[in-house]
Amino acid sequence: MSSTRSFGSLFMVASCAGAALGCYLVSLRVASERASVEDVEARIVSAQADVRLLQTEIGTRGRFSQLERWNAGAFALSAPAAAQFVQSSFELAKLTRPERQPDLQAPVVLAAAPAPQPQKPQLGQPATDDAGAPAGVAPAALLHEASLKTETREVPARAVVAASQQPLLKSTEKPVTAAKPVQISSADKPGLAAAHHPPVQKKSVDKPPLAAPAAVTKRVQIAKVDPLAPLPDRHLARSKDSPTGR
Amino acid sequence: MNAPQPALVAPRPERLRLVGQRRQMLAVMHQRLMFGMLVYGGLVALIALRILYLAAFGDHAGRKEGLTALVPERGDILDRDGQPLARTIDAWTIAVHPNKVIGDKLALAQKLAQLMPERSAEQYFALLRSNKTFFYLRRRASPDLVEAVNAIGEPGLALEREPDRVYPQTTLAAHVLGFTNIDGKGAAGVERAFDSELSDPSTRGKPIVLSISSKVQQALEAELGDAMQHFSAIGAAGVVMDVHTGEVLAMTSFPTFNPNAPGQGTPDQLFNRATQGVFELGSTFKPFTLAMAMDSGLVSGPAQIFNCPQVLPAYGHLIHDTHPFGRQCSVAEIMMESSNIGMAQIANLVGTERQKAWLRKMGFLDKVEIELKEKGRPLTPGVRWGPFETMTIGFGQGIAVAPLQLAMGYATLFDGGIYHPPTILKVSPDHPLAAGRRVFTADTSYRMRSLLRLVVMRGTGRKADAPGYRVGGKTGTAQKLINGHYSQTINLTSFAGVFPMDDPRYVIVVMLDEPHATPETYGFTTAGWNVAPVVSRTISRIAPMLGIAPDMNREPNMSEVLPYVQGANQDSKKD
Repeated sequence: MSSTRSFGSLFMVASCAGAALGCYLVSLRVASERASVEDVEARIVSAQADVRLLQTEIGTRGRFSQLERWNAGAFALSAPAAAQFVQSSFELAKLTRPERQPDLQAPVVLAAAPAPQPQKPQLGQPATDDAGAPAGVAPAALLHEASLKTETREVPARAVVAASQQPLLKSTEKPVTAAKPVQISSADKPGLAAAHHPPVQKKSVDKPPLAAPAAVTKRVQIAKVDPLAPLPDRHLARSKDSPTGR
Repeated sequence: MNAPQPALVAPRPERLRLVGQRRQMLAVMHQRLMFGMLVYGGLVALIALRILYLAAFGDHAGRKEGLTALVPERGDILDRDGQPLARTIDAWTIAVHPNKVIGDKLALAQKLAQLMPERSAEQYFALLRSNKTFFYLRRRASPDLVEAVNAIGEPGLALEREPDRVYPQTTLAAHVLGFTNIDGKGAAGVERAFDSELSDPSTRGKPIVLSISSKVQQALEAELGDAMQHFSAIGAAGVVMDVHTGEVLAMTSFPTFNPNAPGQGTPDQLFNRATQGVFELGSTFKPFTLAMAMDSGLVSGPAQIFNCPQVLPAYGHLIHDTHPFGRQCSVAEIMMESSNIGMAQIANLVGTERQKAWLRKMGFLDKVEIELKEKGRPLTPGVRWGPFETMTIGFGQGIAVAPLQLAMGYATLFDGGIYHPPTILKVSPDHPLAAGRRVFTADTSYRMRSLLRLVVMRGTGRKADAPGYRVGGKTGTAQKLINGHYSQTINLTSFAGVFPMDDPRYVIVVMLDEPHATPETYGFTTAGWNVAPVVSRTISRIAPMLGIAPDMNREPNMSEVLPYVQGANQDSKKD
């Protein structure tokens, strides 16, 4: 009895001590957590100070007067003028027009060619770029451009290879050129001789060589449709690159 | 041990006494021991409790007090978009304690001269051998240099960090920001005006947000600086102000200085021409005179006709015009062609007393109300203010005000006639809009719109027009008073513009001091040729930033004034 009583107090002390120790451990744990939080906070603060320092440096290096000097001197930029602002998205949309791209894959079709019906769907496909523009307008526009390219006169020297070597872009335009001067097709046979004499129409100069041999047209067509032939293919790739480079 | 033994012999009485004494001593000893133990235990308990308390609530040794938030040594100054204009960062300083140098002083001097060539090796050596205990070698040193100096490894060299005020935009808005002196106290501008807020630990954590917009400020400074250089002017000033709130969006003065090195600034550079300088701004005053007359009911409107002779004799003087009409002319024409003769007559109608009262109401007779401390007192004729002075003040001669004050006057006139004191702080919940007071009626304010637009469309200010932004304004070419006489050749040109005129939102005032003629101005030094283009270019740049969309189809109601301008129809046909 007496021993248990005396041990009882010991147990009390031990359990008290244990409880106190437990409490202490908890608080120690809390304190260490808090310390680590503070550590993080301190790190944040020092990072903030670094950020400020860097911001200040960037701000100083990129100060407005410096930017102005670059804009005015190096880049030659200026503030947008009043006319460069648009009021609505509609006005903005009005400013853009789809870029007209000559379709390199389009088969070369002569105006003198007998079938206008196959011609239309063929042209209609490339014409989809122009958002359904009337088919009559596009050839007219193309006609103008093609007329500038007089060097195709050399083509007629029946060198079929040479014709295919000409940038295909031009060859696609050529047929359309031919489209107009159909009337003079009767005078085509004299060909080159006729081309030298009348300086009035350069288009007619272009046309006779092409229109004269129907075989030429077909061969060119084949060259495009058949990409398997290695030589024209290379040229095709080249001619494709050059317009984009422009 | 002390158990009673059979007393064979009666103990000797002294022995008995001894036993009693011993017992007593033991009891005392027990008491003392107990006391000592209690004290000891108490101390231990105290310490243990303290430790427990500290563990539970206390701080640990590594705690960095006050580092939980970044509070700079001095508050930041930001512009209205949050762009820092002034900051305090820790900069490196390189110093030396000559008496602590243990290495070879000559070698050290040579190395220092290599790293910091602003002094020669001899000078460094002399410094190192002097009896001084400490001196700075370089303040605000670059990290590279600090690294190189550290690599010398001399314990006498001290590398320290000290707070340093940096203005990242350098000269931008230098006169607004001001600068701090070597002790870190504000010495000019906002730094001086808000010194207590910027340095007080309780408030410096919060930056001061100015009404200045860096982008607008830069546009104004660039255009004005170009013009000043181009016309070889001796000085220039410019202000852009919000009409409705009185916020100063940009304020500049030329020549300017770099607040990072204020010591290099000359007094002329440190002088803020926009607030401190007072100038006779000339014809830019005319709209006020007309507004006074219209508000008082003395002039009915732009249609009223005055007689405008070639020369107007008045009170023993002669008043001239640069473009004399020599006929009857309407108020609209007087404004358009900036006729002194016409405006003098209108001022005469207003009269001296009424003019004084109006000018006081507009704040032209006192220092401008702005937070900055650098403010000039306007100059007036004072006791000599008679009827003739009233006439000259009517067209802007004889009264000198600061350019900011002029901007404030225009803001008042075009904010429906309500005066708001100009402020350099952004209007926000922290700094609410100051109560305004009505000066002009809203109707007068409205009618002035088309009149000033007319000046820019057809009058002297045509070069100030920025297409699409509906600029209205008034040119002012004042002859400078030199040795008591108005010079015929040396001018002070100014332009006060408001845009967009159909719904005024911003005022711009630009001034050039003593511009010179250039070939493309055909020898003219009047405002229409030198400051008006600055206004046009500046507005074209800043208006889109300020949210004003260009619109070619909007104008103020010009039908109020155009019918009263002779030749307006022919002109429009010609155009």
